[in-house]
Amino acid sequence: MKLTRRNFLAWAGLSAIGAVACDAFGDDLKTQSPVNQPEDLVKGRDNWYATLCRHCPSSEGVLVRVMEGRAKKVQGNPKYPINLGKQSARCDAGLQALYHPDRLAGPLLRINGTLQPVGWNIALDKLKEQLETRGEDLVLVTEPLSGPLGTIAGRFAQAFGGSHITFEALSNATYQAAVKNVFDQELLPDLDIGNANFLLSFGADFLSTWISPTRWSIGFGDLRDAEVGSGRGTFVQIDPRFSMTAANADKWLPIKPGMEGHLALSLAHVIVQEKLQADDVDLQALTGGQEAGFLADFSPESIGPKLGWPEAMLGGRSAAESIRELARDFASHRPSLAIGGDSAGAQKNGLFNLEAIYALNYLVGSVGATGGLRFNPKSPLPEWPQPPVVAALAQWQQVVSALNEGKTKLLLVHQADPVYGLPQAVGLEDAIKRTDVFTVSFSPFLDETSALADLILPDRIYLEDWGADTPNPGPGFQVVGIQQPVVNPLSSLDPRSFGDILLSTAQELREDARLPWNNLLEALEESSNALFALDRGSIDAGSEKEFWTKLLRQGGWWDEKTTGPAVKPTEGLYSQIAKGASEPAALGSSEFYLIPFAHNTLLDGRNTHLPWAQSAPDPITTVTWQTWVEVNARRASDMGWREGDVIRIEANGSFIQALLYPNPALPPDVVAVPMGQGRRNGPGYAVGGEERESSNILSILDAALVNETGALAWAGNRVRLAPTGESLRVSKFEGEYAAREIGNQIINNPGEEIIKTVAPGGH
Amino acid sequence: MVTNRIDHTWGMVVDLDRCTGCQACVVACQAENNLAINEKSAFLEKRALEWIRIERYWEGEYPNVKARFIPIMCQHCSNAPCEPVCPVFATYRNDGGLNVQVYNRCIGARYCINNCPYQVRFFNFWHPTWPASFENYLNPDVTVRTRGITEKCTFCVQRLRRGELEVERRAGGRLNDQNMAERNYMPACVQACPTNALTFGDHLDPDTKIRPYFDDVHAHDIHHEQERTTRSYLLLEELATAPNVIYLKKVEPYPIGENEHNG
Amino acid sequence: MQEGRILTATEVNRDLLRSILDTPRWFWPVVMALGLVVLAAAIVIGVMINRGLGITNLNRPVVWGFFITNFVFWIGISHAGVMLSAILRLAKAEWRRPATRAAEVLTIFSLMTAMTMPIIHTGRPWRIMYWAFPYDFARGIWPNIRTPLIWDPSAILTYLTSSSLFVLIALIPDFAVLRDRTTGISHQVYSMLSLGWQGNPRQWKLQIISGVLLSALILPVFVSVHSIVSWDFGMAMAVKSWHSTIFAPYFVVGAVHSGVSAVAFVLILLRKAYGWQAYIRHEHIDALGRLLVVVATGWFYFFSMEVIFGIYGREADEIAVRTLQFIQWPVSAWTMVFVITTYFIPVSIWLSRYCRRNLWIMSFACISVNIGMWLERFLIIVPGLANRQVFTFSWNMYSPSIPEIIIISATFALVAMFMLLFSRAIPLVPLYDIKEGDILKTEIQIGRRAVPAVYRED
Ligand SMILES: Nc1nc2c(c(=O)[nH]1)N[C@H]1C(S)=C(S)[C@@H](COP(=O)(O)OP(=O)(O)OC[C@H]3O[C@@H](n4cnc5c(=O)[nH]c(N)nc54)[C@H](O)[C@@H]3O)O[C@H]1N2
Ligand SMILES: Nc1nc2c(c(=O)[nH]1)N[C@H]1C(S)=C(S)[C@@H](COP(=O)(O)OP(=O)(O)OC[C@H]3O[C@@H](n4cnc5c(=O)[nH]c(N)nc54)[C@H](O)[C@@H]3O)O[C@H]1N2
Ligand code: SF4
Ligand code: SF4
Ligand code: SF4
Ligand code: SF4
Ligand code: SF4
Repeated sequence: MKLTRRNFLAWAGLSAIGAVACDAFGDDLKTQSPVNQPEDLVKGRDNWYATLCRHCPSSEGVLVRVMEGRAKKVQGNPKYPINLGKQSARCDAGLQALYHPDRLAGPLLRINGTLQPVGWNIALDKLKEQLETRGEDLVLVTEPLSGPLGTIAGRFAQAFGGSHITFEALSNATYQAAVKNVFDQELLPDLDIGNANFLLSFGADFLSTWISPTRWSIGFGDLRDAEVGSGRGTFVQIDPRFSMTAANADKWLPIKPGMEGHLALSLAHVIVQEKLQADDVDLQALTGGQEAGFLADFSPESIGPKLGWPEAMLGGRSAAESIRELARDFASHRPSLAIGGDSAGAQKNGLFNLEAIYALNYLVGSVGATGGLRFNPKSPLPEWPQPPVVAALAQWQQVVSALNEGKTKLLLVHQADPVYGLPQAVGLEDAIKRTDVFTVSFSPFLDETSALADLILPDRIYLEDWGADTPNPGPGFQVVGIQQPVVNPLSSLDPRSFGDILLSTAQELREDARLPWNNLLEALEESSNALFALDRGSIDAGSEKEFWTKLLRQGGWWDEKTTGPAVKPTEGLYSQIAKGASEPAALGSSEFYLIPFAHNTLLDGRNTHLPWAQSAPDPITTVTWQTWVEVNARRASDMGWREGDVIRIEANGSFIQALLYPNPALPPDVVAVPMGQGRRNGPGYAVGGEERESSNILSILDAALVNETGALAWAGNRVRLAPTGESLRVSKFEGEYAAREIGNQIINNPGEEIIKTVAPGGH
Repeated sequence: MVTNRIDHTWGMVVDLDRCTGCQACVVACQAENNLAINEKSAFLEKRALEWIRIERYWEGEYPNVKARFIPIMCQHCSNAPCEPVCPVFATYRNDGGLNVQVYNRCIGARYCINNCPYQVRFFNFWHPTWPASFENYLNPDVTVRTRGITEKCTFCVQRLRRGELEVERRAGGRLNDQNMAERNYMPACVQACPTNALTFGDHLDPDTKIRPYFDDVHAHDIHHEQERTTRSYLLLEELATAPNVIYLKKVEPYPIGENEHNG
Repeated sequence: MQEGRILTATEVNRDLLRSILDTPRWFWPVVMALGLVVLAAAIVIGVMINRGLGITNLNRPVVWGFFITNFVFWIGISHAGVMLSAILRLAKAEWRRPATRAAEVLTIFSLMTAMTMPIIHTGRPWRIMYWAFPYDFARGIWPNIRTPLIWDPSAILTYLTSSSLFVLIALIPDFAVLRDRTTGISHQVYSMLSLGWQGNPRQWKLQIISGVLLSALILPVFVSVHSIVSWDFGMAMAVKSWHSTIFAPYFVVGAVHSGVSAVAFVLILLRKAYGWQAYIRHEHIDALGRLLVVVATGWFYFFSMEVIFGIYGREADEIAVRTLQFIQWPVSAWTMVFVITTYFIPVSIWLSRYCRRNLWIMSFACISVNIGMWLERFLIIVPGLANRQVFTFSWNMYSPSIPEIIIISATFALVAMFMLLFSRAIPLVPLYDIKEGDILKTEIQIGRRAVPAVYRED
């Protein structure tokens, strides 16, 4: 067509009409059509399998999304009573353990001093040979195991005449002992934080890492919910360290480490003196009939000045007055709950501290009550050991001397890393290196312990294996969680289940009647049948098979009706507790209290090889991938130290290095260092950091014991700090500025608030 | 094609009184949405990607000190400043009220990043890489972004789409609070959050948990903020970006500076 | 007032075509050296496209840095062309004559260089067609006309087109001169370019009319280009110190300030390089200096107002940005350098007649302005993005990486190289314009003094 002026005009007109017509379709055509994009297309089917997570000691129910044989997402199982569909920052990283590039593909045997890949036949023969020759002198080390694996491990050791010992860097032994002494319970109690109206916590970093943080966090959410329990509850944290939990308290009260028990007894004194106790409290039993002079040594007037409470915090009042007020608040806002753990229990007087703290619950009627402590019933499967006996440091010292004396000749280690987690002072590493003990590791990854092993038989990751667990603490009723393999190991890997290996070798060598199963699955099925026979609880099934199917689908079995026992105080409980009182030694000049703490995601170091755990910022400092040392910001600046300065932390004659993070909230005489880094052997992501920015605080701890329980008093160390003169950049998520809401002091302008607040009762 | 979908306007409520800063949401989001691994260098370079991040603010100084946490993700602004500035329509508001990001179109001009008052957009400075075995866990519902692309929280649109597909088109129901929670269609961060600080839902649906908060905010705009009956507020409300995320004020029984409450 | 003597057409042709008809000895080595710098940058850009923008030091939240700074800078330089050619032509400023061509050519090359910056800056430059060109009619995908990033290419391409036309039309008579003095291929090319120019009155009339018309038409483009570039920032409501209504005039005046200074410097260079003392005379540089005093002071007014208005609201975050810009080390030091080099040094120089007529001092002043103006853009863009805003958690700064510095240096080399190569092909001082000026020039008797003056018919 020829372009004449006439048809040019015609075309121009037409296109104008067209443009207008298109507009008639409205926004949809204009902004939708360009972008009707691939998020519309979801392809493929996914399956969600219920199983148990064995990633951290709390062991919770998870659902795993599986597509085409690959696990894609781990998240809480909404039905599982412990975590109700919720999770922590650690849970997802299970996927990275599963698909970690540096998983050990198959067995490794030390030949001529180096670990070399061998076939399973050779490896298992080696294991059997060692068991045959040295079986009686074996020590089997595992993480605390409940469920069938715990039974199997224990019986296996017995079958050969050896012993079974559990390892956990921050063991619960003291807490367990306190629960035993105060409540006469073997099992840990559930904490009904959600229904409490006043929560008083001593040292426990329960929102982050202590015992069952996911469960406590759910409770914490409910505590803050005006609709749950008796309205929004108040939460006071007493803690020498400004932990993430302390940051979430309505009020944080710092305390001189080791004085927690004294404060708790002082509160008890005030409650009894001022008759603030709950109505039906058996004061007679608690006080041993000495109501009048009850805990006279612990009056606020004598304890107050020893707590190290700064005047600026007290606002013109005396510490004694503040203790009284705290006692009144605690006693009058019932249901109130007192809990303690972590640094409060990891002092030499840790058992005393925890006993004094938990005994407070008697005075306010919170023992066995809503909004208080709920005790747990025994496991419905009596064959399974519960709770797992957690070895104290004292026992480990025995293990080391047995090694040194040549009494222990065979060391079997399952997914525990005592060489990393025990203080160097205990001397385990030396003992293994020096003696001719044969060490077998069942770790799927290289770690400090397996690096010293003579034989490594890589276990399956929990997402590939069978298992079961009776959680401790349970939710106040009977629960059995079931772990099933949700995927097969990748074809490039050939791990074998630890449980299966124990069973098959035991059968072959000892034919022990107490280990009748061919593999873990059989043991589980037997347990499933036992549960079915109980004919109660969460699964309604007509046959054993149906029960089994439903058990797997639900991720476990529970019976909300079978609850824990009623608990009564023993006669004269308080005088018993007060007897254990001892005060911590004074702090030397230029010394700091050292409070190490379990890292929010790395915990005691077991997750160091998982990049999601490494890269999740620490809640308070936002530091990732590095070891830092928190020092009071003002004190640091007075000493001319700046963020990123490499600081030498000296204790007990040895030292580590860490990067300084000035923390405006930490007490000036306390330094806090996270655990978890500083691994020298292991898979990618765990190793590789320089010593200056990746170090293991556990290694320099004094091997001091908690009185009576023999657990490691890991929070009782004193350290000296010295800058090395070097400085590195801190790999933190926070910007270059330690964030505060801006306002402008010069012109007195408040600025825009990001985090708005209201007073309670305000909307 | 835009088929006859049920109308939704997705929204979230963040209760600052519950959030503990635990980072569960952050990691859950990274796992669900194929975020590149934040290596140490990413933090040193200040290029770490976190579609939801926890900001920690200090107030005061020892001993009268507080640290407060706030989770910040894309606010899915109804009047999003990031949208008009994108030269290629790579970011737009979809029919579910989401501000979505079309990776395929994004040329990486980064204007949207500048113009997001909430700083929730992240740029891929490097090509993301995973050890080959980690690729097994990548979510096939979510595109892996290449270098040069801007990305951000999508309210886990892939989960919502699966939900719409299964619940609405196949079963003829409606996605609601209950079936979303039960069938894993909630955004990953919401599903994970142990304190239930995050609540998600459709504020067109009168029965959702978030609805009363949206009603409150809609009934009392910024000029009547004092009259709100809940603790609701919007981040940087005065910018009129009309976010679809509502924050609930933190309750402060012992504000700093009022020492008489001690003990 | 006119200085210098009236030159003959022969002299003009001989002198001004010298740059084309013979090659000075330094020419190719200098071009080669510049070419090497450009080549180095090309390699860096290749690596950057291949590996990602990670090789820059851009971060979160500072996602715009040296590249965008340099973009704004070169757009600014490009404003000299129109300022001198169009405005001064319309204002009939006689002294403009030798400066126009160089200014216009500088405009074209700085625009072209500027345009490369946002392309390099994007994360996926190979997808640039999505940006500037509508490409997918079937799905109705058009560029988003709501964004200044679309207004930018439109404005810049319009400006580039009109500036090119401007140069070409002004070149026709000179091409004809060249056509008559060359042989072989050059002759043929110049024949084509001169479009059959005979120099008859009708052609002269048309050429003059189109020049004047273009001058008038290009004015709104001139104002809009840098206004629009300023809106890249002004429209960004989320960046506190950018979101300001004053930006358009502030940027336009700033552009003229840096552009005219750059032209003055280029003229001094040309005068030295090609011995054009008779054409680029002290009076011209002097006049530019006087013009610049006015421009600079206008600019300084906008600059101060921007800051004063900014802090007038006393908003905490606004104060925080200004604190970063003016108080916090080391940014405050750069701000100091910027204000002094952009305004106080050059203006005090330009106020003195002696200095205006000393080419060394003038060169120094002009370079000083451009160092300052480059810093000015940097100090607007980066502190703004450094997020001194309510989310203090994300506060962060930026400093360039070596690859960025290489690329930025190469843009200067590129413009210089193009200018040199171009000077080999066309006269950078317009022959006909000089001749016209000389024809119009005469001396009139005022009392006892003979004063040079210019005839004008209108
Ligand atoms: N309640 C009430 N509301 C009113 C009115 C009323 O009478 N009562 N009057 C209405 C009327 S008539 C008007 S005009 C508006 C005025 O309302 P606004 O437009 O808000 O005017 P200002 O508050 O004067 O200025 C707004 C901000 O812009 C900044 N600013 C201005 N120019 C620049 C600049 O070039 N650069 C930078 N960086 N910042 C700049 C100032 O610092 C100031 O903080 O208010 C309207 N609203
Ligand atoms: N100090 C100071 N001075 C300023 C300004 C400032 O910010 N501060 N801002 C400047 C600006 S931007 C502006 S726009 C001016 C505004 O200045 P003015 O135009 O003086 O505006 P107002 O003072 O708001 O009120 C005007 C009058 O109109 C009356 N009125 C209201 N409605 C009606 C109506 O329907 N019909 C009639 N007939 N009257 C009505 C009101 O009662 C009031 O008396 O002030 C300027 N002057
Ligand atoms: S909190 Fe620990 S045990 Fe519980 S699901 Fe997460 S990783 Fe597993
Ligand atoms: S929060 Fe930012 S990215 Fe999200 S919609 Fe609003 S402006 Fe856009
Ligand atoms: S970075 Fe992508 S989404 Fe953002 S403005 Fe540029 S093209 Fe648009
Ligand atoms: S809604 Fe989804 S994409 Fe957004 S922050 Fe939560 S998990 Fe991430
Ligand atoms: S998961 Fe919940 S409580 Fe934890 S940081 Fe995220 S929003 Fe806060």
